[in-house]
Amino acid sequence: MKKSYTQFAVFLFILLTPFMLNAQQTVTGTVTGTNNRPLVGASVKIKNNSNIGVSTDVNGKFLLEIPGQKAVLEISYVGYKSQTFTAGSESKNISINLNEDIGNLDEVVITGLGTSVKRSNSANAVSSVSARELVGTTTQATVDGALYGKFTGANISSNSGAPGGGISVKLRGITSISANSQPLFIVDGVYYDNSSINAGLNTVSKAAGQGSASAQDNPSNRIADLDPEDIDKIEILKGASAAAIYGSRAAGGVILITTKKGKIGKPKVELSHSIGFQMQLRKLGGRTWDAAKVQSAFGSTGTALYNAGGGKIYDYEDELYGRKGLMNNTRINVSGGSEKTTYFAGFTYKNDEGIVNNTGFEKMSFRVNLDQKVFSFLDISVNYNYVESQADRGYFNNDNTSTTLGISFVSTPWWANLYPDANGNYPNNPLAPSNFLQTRDLVTNREKINRTLVGGSAVIKIFKNEMHDLKIMTRGGIDHYTLNTIAIFPKELQFEKNGNGTNGLSAYGTTITRNSNMNAIAVYNLTLTNKLNFRTQAGLTAENIDLNNVLTTATQLIGTQTNVNQAGAIQADNAKTIQKDRGFFVQEEVNYNDIFIATAGIRGDKSSRNGDANKLYYFPKASLAVNISQMPFWTFNKVNPLKLRVAYGEAGNFAPFGAIYTPLVPAIFNGNTGSLIGLSQGNEKLEPERQKELEFGLDVGVLKNRISFEGTYYIKKADNLILLVQVPTSSGFSSAWKNVAAIRNRGFELALNAIPVTTKDLKWSIQTRLWKNKAEVTRLDVPAFNTGAFGATLGTYRIQKGKSPTQIVGIGRPGEPKDPESGLTVFGDAEPDFQLSFTNTVSWKNFDLSVLCHWKKGGKNINLSTLLSDIFGTSPDYDDKNVDPSGQMTNGAYRLDALGSTAGPWVEDASYFRVREIGLGYRFPVNMIKGVSQIKVGFSGRNIFNSFKYNSYDPEVSNFGANAISSNVEVTPFPSSKSFHFNVYVSF
Amino acid sequence: MKYTINSFKYIYYLGLFISVFISSCKVDPIADPNNPSLSGITQNASLGEIQNLVDGTESGMRDNMSFYFDDIGVIGREFYRYSTSDPRFTSDLLGKGNAVLDNNTFYITNPYAARYRVIKNTNILIPALQNTRAVITDDQRRAGIAYAKTIQAYELLLVFNLQYGNGIRVNVADPNNLGPFLSKDESLNAIQMLLNTANTDLKNNMASFPFNTSLYSKVADDFSKFNRAIAARVAVYRKDWTQAGTALSESFMNLGGSLTNGVYYLYSTAGGDQLNPQFFPLNVNGETRVVQPNFVPEGEAGDIRVAVKTSLRTDTAFQDGLKSAYDFYVYKTNAASIPIIRNAELLLLYAEVQAQTANPVNATNAIDIIRNAASLGDYNGATDLNSLINEILKQRRYELFGEGHRWIDMRRYDRLSQLPIDRTGDDVWEQFPRPANE
Repeated sequence: MKKSYTQFAVFLFILLTPFMLNAQQTVTGTVTGTNNRPLVGASVKIKNNSNIGVSTDVNGKFLLEIPGQKAVLEISYVGYKSQTFTAGSESKNISINLNEDIGNLDEVVITGLGTSVKRSNSANAVSSVSARELVGTTTQATVDGALYGKFTGANISSNSGAPGGGISVKLRGITSISANSQPLFIVDGVYYDNSSINAGLNTVSKAAGQGSASAQDNPSNRIADLDPEDIDKIEILKGASAAAIYGSRAAGGVILITTKKGKIGKPKVELSHSIGFQMQLRKLGGRTWDAAKVQSAFGSTGTALYNAGGGKIYDYEDELYGRKGLMNNTRINVSGGSEKTTYFAGFTYKNDEGIVNNTGFEKMSFRVNLDQKVFSFLDISVNYNYVESQADRGYFNNDNTSTTLGISFVSTPWWANLYPDANGNYPNNPLAPSNFLQTRDLVTNREKINRTLVGGSAVIKIFKNEMHDLKIMTRGGIDHYTLNTIAIFPKELQFEKNGNGTNGLSAYGTTITRNSNMNAIAVYNLTLTNKLNFRTQAGLTAENIDLNNVLTTATQLIGTQTNVNQAGAIQADNAKTIQKDRGFFVQEEVNYNDIFIATAGIRGDKSSRNGDANKLYYFPKASLAVNISQMPFWTFNKVNPLKLRVAYGEAGNFAPFGAIYTPLVPAIFNGNTGSLIGLSQGNEKLEPERQKELEFGLDVGVLKNRISFEGTYYIKKADNLILLVQVPTSSGFSSAWKNVAAIRNRGFELALNAIPVTTKDLKWSIQTRLWKNKAEVTRLDVPAFNTGAFGATLGTYRIQKGKSPTQIVGIGRPGEPKDPESGLTVFGDAEPDFQLSFTNTVSWKNFDLSVLCHWKKGGKNINLSTLLSDIFGTSPDYDDKNVDPSGQMTNGAYRLDALGSTAGPWVEDASYFRVREIGLGYRFPVNMIKGVSQIKVGFSGRNIFNSFKYNSYDPEVSNFGANAISSNVEVTPFPSSKSFHFNVYVSF
Repeated sequence: MKYTINSFKYIYYLGLFISVFISSCKVDPIADPNNPSLSGITQNASLGEIQNLVDGTESGMRDNMSFYFDDIGVIGREFYRYSTSDPRFTSDLLGKGNAVLDNNTFYITNPYAARYRVIKNTNILIPALQNTRAVITDDQRRAGIAYAKTIQAYELLLVFNLQYGNGIRVNVADPNNLGPFLSKDESLNAIQMLLNTANTDLKNNMASFPFNTSLYSKVADDFSKFNRAIAARVAVYRKDWTQAGTALSESFMNLGGSLTNGVYYLYSTAGGDQLNPQFFPLNVNGETRVVQPNFVPEGEAGDIRVAVKTSLRTDTAFQDGLKSAYDFYVYKTNAASIPIIRNAELLLLYAEVQAQTANPVNATNAIDIIRNAASLGDYNGATDLNSLINEILKQRRYELFGEGHRWIDMRRYDRLSQLPIDRTGDDVWEQFPRPANE
C-alpha cells in the first residue's frame, strides 16, 4: 500500500499542469433567492457541459466566460429550482431570481463514489433529508431517531426508551437472517461504526442461556455519537440498485451523511438553546386491589403484608417512570469564509435526564470543517469531529433472575412497601427477588464514549477544456473511539447479598475501535456536443476495521469497592474484529440532452471476511432515466418534469464475524489448558450474501412543480443468506455456516409533495409519503425452523419457504388454523401493512408551523410484559373483561388460561399513529437589533400525540436490539417518552 | 494558449496506474483473532500447541460421558437415573409404557457428538504432528500419530457400543465428505484394525511422545500396553479369542497386580475443570442415581463390593414408579477418577478367553483372583463353558458395576431377556437409534 501511494504522488506531479481556458465572451450577473437576497455560492454553468462554470461570490455576483457567441446557462443553488438563461455578449449585469425547490428535483443525489446528478436526472429513488427536515422542527437526540417518517421505504424502530439511543433501521425489508441487516453509515466519506456493544449485564440478568442465546443488554448503537445539528444533508440509498457502488457491505442500504460547510461571506455566528423536559409517553396505571384479589394472587403471605400496610397503595409507576427529565441542548455554530477558504465550526452540549432517576444522556460534540482552494487545480477539505458522551441507561429488559427494574416492577404489587427507612436502608422486596427502588438508586449501567472522526478529501483538477475534464478525487478518514461500559451492582442489593447473587458485580468493558477508509477516484467528463456528455469514473477503495472489546467482570466485591481487582473472582473476555477490504469501482454515465441518462458500473471487492481473502466479488449496476418532458415533442408544460426510470444493482453482506473460522476453544484438564475443536465448523467457502435489486419509478411534476409525485416499485432479492445449520455430528461439529436461504422483498414507495397555498404572507406545503414492503422466503435449503423470541409457547418467528421471514407463529388451540408441517398457528407478521407519514409546513408572516405525523398500520409484536405482569397478578387491566370473546373471564385470567395452549394473547397489533414532531416558531423581523441578523423563538415537541391499542408503553420496542429477525419482542423495556422544548435561536 | 494534448493518453496512464494499484492491493487473509487458528496448527504447530491439542483431546474424552454411563447403566438395569428436570431417564431409557428411544434426544445425540468431536480433535493432532517443524524425531512423530489413532479407536468403540447393529461411520477425517456407515461387524473390525495399525508404531518404539499424556505412559512402547488392553476388549467383543489372548499378553494385564491399576478419566475441583458426573451426594432426592433393587440381594454373601459400591439410604427413593433403598456409590467424591480400562477387566477378559479356548483351569485362576479380592472364596462351581461364562458375567457385574459394561456383556451373550423388568410394560433395548442429524 505505502509503495502505491508513492507511485500515486509521482503520477500526480506528472499530471499537474496548470491550465487555462480559452474564453470568448464574458457574462456577468447576480443571482438572488427568496426576498431577493443574494445567493452566495450558487452554481452558474453552461447547460450540459459541467466543464464550464463558476460560483457566485459573497454578493451573489458571477463572471463567466463562455465559448462562442451564445450559450444556455444553468443557474442552480441548493434548495432552489434551477433556471436556464440564454446568454450572449450583451449579457452584462443580468439578474436572476431563483424560486424555492419544493419537490427537491434540483438537489443533487449521489450516483457514484465521486459524482452526483440532479435529482431530476437520477434513475434511483434516492431519498434525502435536509438539515431543516432533520432538526428544523424539534430537538433531536440521535441521528437515526431523527429520521422517522421523513423518507419512504424505511422501518425505523426504537428498541426502548432508554436515553442515548438504540434504534434499528431497516431499509426496504429484511435483507439478512443471521448477519447484519442495518444500513452502512458514511459521514463525509468516512465509514461510521454503528456497533452495539453489550455491557456485560448478562452475568446478573442471565437473560441468555435459558430459551434465548442472545444477551439482552439493550446497548445503544454508536450512530448516537453523531450530532444531528452538524448535518447538512442525509441521502439514503435504500437498496442495491443505488448502493451497488458501496459493494460488499451495502446490502442493508447506505446512509450517506454530509455535514455542514461554511459559506463564502462574513462570519456568521449562530447560537441556539433549547430547554425542555421529557415524560413517560403512556402511563398504564396499576391494578386496583382489594383483600380478596390479594389473597388470590399472593396467598396468605400477601394478605398479611397487605393488612400490615393497612391497604396503602403506592404509585410505583409514578415513582419509577414519573420523572420529568430536564432536557437541555446548547448549540453554537461559527461559519464563513472567503472565496478560497470556508470554515464551519459547531459545538453542541446536550444534557437529557431520563424519565427514570439516575438515567440520562450527556453529550459534548465539537466539529470543524475546513474547505480550502489551495491552487486553481487543487481543493482540499478537512473534517474533524470530537465527541464525548455518557449514557446512563438503567437496568431493563428480560432476565432470568427477576432482577431488572422492568421485571421486578411487574412482579411487585403496589401495596408492598419498598421505600428505604430513615437511615436509607432499603427493605427486601417481600414478594420478589429485587427491590426495584434499591436497584434504581444503586445500580450503574453506563456507556461512556470518546470518539474522534477525522476525514479529508482532495480534488485535483488535472485537465479541463471545453471538451475534456479530468479530475482526481481522493478521500479518506479515520473513525476512532473508546467506549467504556460500566456496570456496577453493589453487594448490598437484595439480589446480590446473602447468597442470592455473586456478592456484588463490577463489569468494566473497554472497546477500542479504529476504522479507516480511503478511496481515490478519477472522474473524466467528455462533452462531445452540447447534447451529449459522457462521464467516466474509476477508483480504488480501501477499508479497515479493527475493533477490540475487553470485558472484565469482577464478582465477590470487597466492601463498597468497584475496582475490578477489589474482588474475589475476576473473569475476562476478549473479542476482536479485524477486517480489511479492498476494492475498485468503474462507472460510465451518459447524458443525452437531459433526456436519456444511462449509467452502468461495477464494483469489485475483496475482503479478509471472505473465505478466500483475495477473491474479487463483483457488484454490477445499471440504470436508465428518461425525461419525457425534456423531449422535443413535449409541449404540455403543465406536466413537467415527467420522468421514467429503471435501475438495477447488486450489493453484498458479510457473514457474521468468525463464520469462516473453525475455532479451537479452551478446555481445562488436569491442571492444563487444552484446545478442543469448537462446535461450529467455519466455512472457508462461504460466499457473501448477495442482494439484487431492480426498481422502477415514475416522477411527475405538475403546475411548475407545485405538485410533485415520486413513485417507485422495487423487487429486491437477498440470496445466499447465511445460516448456522445443523450438520451430522459424526463430522465432529454440531453446526456449520452455510449459504442456504433467500428472501425476496417487494414493495412500493409513493411520495406526493404539494404547495396548496403560496402567497406573500402565507405559504403552506405538504409532503406525504406512503410505503409498503412485503417479504417472502424464496429459498431455504434446510428444514423450516423457529428462531427468535422465546419458543412456540409464547410466540416465535419461523423461517419457512414461501412465508414471510417475520411471520410470528406459536402453539394454537384446537380450532386455530395450523400449519400442517409444524403444527403451529400463524398469529401475524412483524412487518407493517404499510406506513404513511405527512409533513405540513405553514408559514404565515413570521410564524412557522411544522407538523410531522407518522402512521404505521399493522405489524405485530410479541408482548411478554403483559404475560409477566399477568403471572404476577399485577397487570393494570387484570380485572377488566375485554379480551375474552365470551366475556366471562377477566383479562388476566383469560390470558393465563391460554398459557401453554395458545400463544395468541401475546401477539398484539403494534399499529400506531403519532405526531412525531411538531414545532411552532416565530422569526423576529430582520435587523430588529443592530448586529443581530435573526432571532427565532419557538415551542416544539416529539411524540406529543400517540394513538395505539397496543397493551403496553409503546408498540415501538425490541428486547433483542437491532437483530434482523427477532425485533418486535417486548419484555419489560425502559418505557418510551415524549418531550416538549422551548427553543431560542440567534444569529449574528 | 491551447494545449494539444491527447487526453486519451491520460486515460491510458490512468488505466495503467489503476492496474498497478489493484495488483498491489492484495488482501492478506487474517487469522482468527479470537481463537487459535486451525490452519496454523495443522500447518506448523509448536510443541506447545500440540500439547494443547492433546490436553483438549483428553479433556474432551470426558464430555458427555455421564450420558454414556447412564445409558448403559440404566438399560443394563444396574441403577436408575432419577431426574426431576428430565423424565426421559426413567421413561425412554427403561421403555416405560409406549416410550421408545428417540433419535433426537440428548441421551444419544450428546454422547455421540462428543465422541466424534474428540475424534475430530485427534484428526487435527495427526496433521499437526505430520507437519510440525518443531524438533521431534521420526519415532516421536509416528508414536504421536499412533497415540491419536488409539484414542480414535477407543472413541469409536464407545459410539459403537450404543449404536451396535446400526453400525457406525469410521472414516470421518473430512467433515464435508463423511465416510459410509459400516455394518456392525465391519465397524468392530475397523476399530480392531485401527488399534493394530497404531500398535505397530507403538510397540518396541522406545521414543517418548512429543507431549505429555495422562493416559498410561508417554513412552510409546509402554503406551502400547494400553492400546493392547483396548484391543483385547474389542477382540473379545468380536469373539476372536486368539487375537484377544495375544493382545492381553501384550497389555498391562498383571495377574498379581492391583485390580485398580489402569487408565482413567481424571476429574478435579480446579477452576474450569470438570467434576465427576457420576458422583451424587448420598440421600439426595430429585437428581440422583439409585441402585436397581436386585443388585444388593443377588450379591453373594460376603461380597464386600456390594457394600462398598452402594449405600443404604435414610429413606427409600421413589420416582416414576421406581423405588430403591440404595444410593449408587461407586465414586466417593466429585473428583474421583472413572476407569477407562483397568486390570480387573483385563483379568476377567483373560478368564473369558481361557474359558472359551477350553482352558478352565486358567479361567478359574483368574476368576479366583477377582473373587478373593472381594473377600469371596475360590470358585467351586462347574467348569463347563456355560457355567464359567455365568460366573464371569456375574463377576463382571459386581466388579465393573456402573463402569459401562453390564448391558454390553448381556447383549453379546444374547441374555438381554434375563435383565430384570421393574415396571410392567418396560422394555430392554438392544441399541440406540442412529441420531437424526446423521
